[in-house]
Amino acid sequence: MTTERQHDTIDMMLNMGPQHPATHGVFRMVLTLDGERVLDVTPHIGYLHRGSEKLCEGESYGQVVTLFDRIDYIANLNNELAFCRAAERLMSIEVPERAMYIRVILAELNRVASHALFIGTYAIDLGAMTPVMYGFRERERIQNLFEAVTGARMMHNFIRIGGVKEDVPDDFGPRVRQLIGQVREGIEEMDRLLTFNEVYLARTRGVGVIDAATAISVGLTGPSLRGSGVAYDVRKDDPYEIYPYLSYKVPIGENGDCWDRYYVRLQECYESLSMISQCLDQMEAGPTMVQMRRIARPPKGEVYVHSENPRGDIGVYLVSDGTDKPYRLKIRPPSFCNLVGLAPMTRGSYIADAVAILGSLDIVLGEVDR
Amino acid sequence: MTEQTPNPPGQGDDEPPAAAAPVHRGPPIVIAEEVLNERGERTARLLAEVVGPHAQESGGRDDLPWAEVAPENLLEVARKCRNSSELALDMLHLQFAVDYEDHIQMVYVLFSMSLDRKAILRVNLPAEDPKVDSVVGLWEAASWYERETHDLFGVEFGGNPDLSPLLLFDGFEGHPGLKSYPFNDYQEW
Amino acid sequence: MAIGGDERGAQGLPLFVPERWDREKAGRFFDSDEHGGESAGKGNHPAPNLIRSAAPGVITAKLDQLAALGRANSLWTLTFGLACCAIEMISTHMAHHDFDRFGIVTWPSPRQSDVMIVAGTVVKKMADPIRLLYEQMPDPKWVIAMGTCATSGGPYYKSYSVVMGVDHIVPVDVYVPGCPPRPEALMDGIIKLQRKIKDDAKGEQIDLLKEATDDRANA
Repeated sequence: MTTERQHDTIDMMLNMGPQHPATHGVFRMVLTLDGERVLDVTPHIGYLHRGSEKLCEGESYGQVVTLFDRIDYIANLNNELAFCRAAERLMSIEVPERAMYIRVILAELNRVASHALFIGTYAIDLGAMTPVMYGFRERERIQNLFEAVTGARMMHNFIRIGGVKEDVPDDFGPRVRQLIGQVREGIEEMDRLLTFNEVYLARTRGVGVIDAATAISVGLTGPSLRGSGVAYDVRKDDPYEIYPYLSYKVPIGENGDCWDRYYVRLQECYESLSMISQCLDQMEAGPTMVQMRRIARPPKGEVYVHSENPRGDIGVYLVSDGTDKPYRLKIRPPSFCNLVGLAPMTRGSYIADAVAILGSLDIVLGEVDR
Repeated sequence: MTEQTPNPPGQGDDEPPAAAAPVHRGPPIVIAEEVLNERGERTARLLAEVVGPHAQESGGRDDLPWAEVAPENLLEVARKCRNSSELALDMLHLQFAVDYEDHIQMVYVLFSMSLDRKAILRVNLPAEDPKVDSVVGLWEAASWYERETHDLFGVEFGGNPDLSPLLLFDGFEGHPGLKSYPFNDYQEW
Repeated sequence: MAIGGDERGAQGLPLFVPERWDREKAGRFFDSDEHGGESAGKGNHPAPNLIRSAAPGVITAKLDQLAALGRANSLWTLTFGLACCAIEMISTHMAHHDFDRFGIVTWPSPRQSDVMIVAGTVVKKMADPIRLLYEQMPDPKWVIAMGTCATSGGPYYKSYSVVMGVDHIVPVDVYVPGCPPRPEALMDGIIKLQRKIKDDAKGEQIDLLKEATDDRANA
């Protein structure tokens, strides 16, 4: 049987529109298809462009923290941390150590919650309906703790310039240790269900391969980059807060396919949980906020600070003109840059693989569009 | 624990922020010192070597040195930065524009994945006709950054094959990133 | 996406009007007489049934109420999460808060869903798709505006690209405030919608303000 075409065919354009159960938000992909093979993919974004960067220019620094909560709405505390670090670097403020420990504990808990959501929604994109229930159960536990500490399930507004808003409650230590145990069991449950499952391997192994050189040129960061074998983690290579005092491993993938990116995130959950218990052991009593004026007025200058979000490197470039509102606040969103890599990864695969690849990039549209 | 530079007494926090008028009515503006640390000094020397005579101004804070180049020389300098074996700045981490009203400044934040280097390149463009060469041939990440900057600021990138709107809808009038674009006052849709 | 002719808004910026526009003038459905205003049950009248069309004059009140009972207890929501509120909406569907016990199934296709929960910020670029989705849903249909962004623009009220509330585009039945609203708040919104459906079939209008005042007076 020859594979010659006997008819004239044209390539079909398939629109996976802004409303789609598998596109993780308002994201539109136009696939150019030859039968079932994807020849090219054109992402269209902007359906959630709220103008956050321009809005930041009209708000004081305390209000900007609330805006940053809503940019990557799954890892809120990590975003707040990124912005507060930028403002503190510009004002040359040193945050007290207890505040740094609290920040890192909350940021790592948020990382685990974000990865639990990723594993759950990735599984349901591929058709497995059970892991998402387990993932959200773990998320509920973590959000319960967040509510006890910060007062809100999602938009915390807790990490402020100069420290954290207030000290943690008295039962924080025992409660977090119990939480770590429960969450570890929950993640292990999802691990047992998915990681070496035959169907899961068939759908993710060898799918969406991207090599290290293309990944770096495209601007991938975070677990997507580490899945391709590049050992770059901001917490190790450009450490901040109290990460130098913690001992942990950074999981690196080999092949650069979807399974590697998933496995890197899974292992990161376990590493984060061990980091949290180390923080609890090392944490001492002390102040949680620097003495400073209520309205922050950083001196005139520019600073660029980047930290490790669950999705990659979030960078904040802050241009200040000495007043109480930023002059220009540019956010470097990891998902925006990771999405540029969607096209090289998807060419040549099937439509069903396009869904798997998009899921494995773990994008959040609030971040992509700001 | 360092305290923030103290504001002079008598002008407290409860003063309302100045309106859109250019007159500054708050406390006097403090200018931050730009000090490079050891890592930054090393990179600044390498950067000066690579950029050479094209560097119009330079400076830096912490471990991030910056160099300002003219728009005509940007592509050449960027290529040298990327291909040099001592700098090896192979990732374009961020590229964006700042609107300084009389001129628009393009900022390129470059990282090296293999060596411990970071650098910033800056280009000043005239506000009426901001045009610069595209670096999409060097770093593929630039494609979306340049589309976004074109959308929000109106900067033209020569050599970029696709500058269609990325974030704004078709038919949007104006460039909202510029300072001259007003904030919505809850009256327009 | 069309721009509304020569009309200019407050600061001289062009007024934005979606293409699929068959209304006389822009504005919120909430303030207008069509489709909204005080809940007059418009859009919530039970669809015409066979008996009513075959033998007009026959009172089908009990049948309407039965139909409303069925509709209210098995609302199929369109998976339409736009932004942060979507995460809380998904949490509400999941095991801890569990929407399934209300009979609510989240359904990806607009052609088979009853309720559109607009969860998140409505951006001007997204206004046309939202209107298209609303028109694709068959009658009777309801809309819940979840979160402050969908109610009135929320924290993005100064933005150049945000529609100040989804009720500029589609008529809304229940507004659930919060940023984001807790899953319990969204469940309360669904329960109120269920009450609205059942009471509209009886021809009664629920007046929540009067109820709350009476409760306080009698308590």
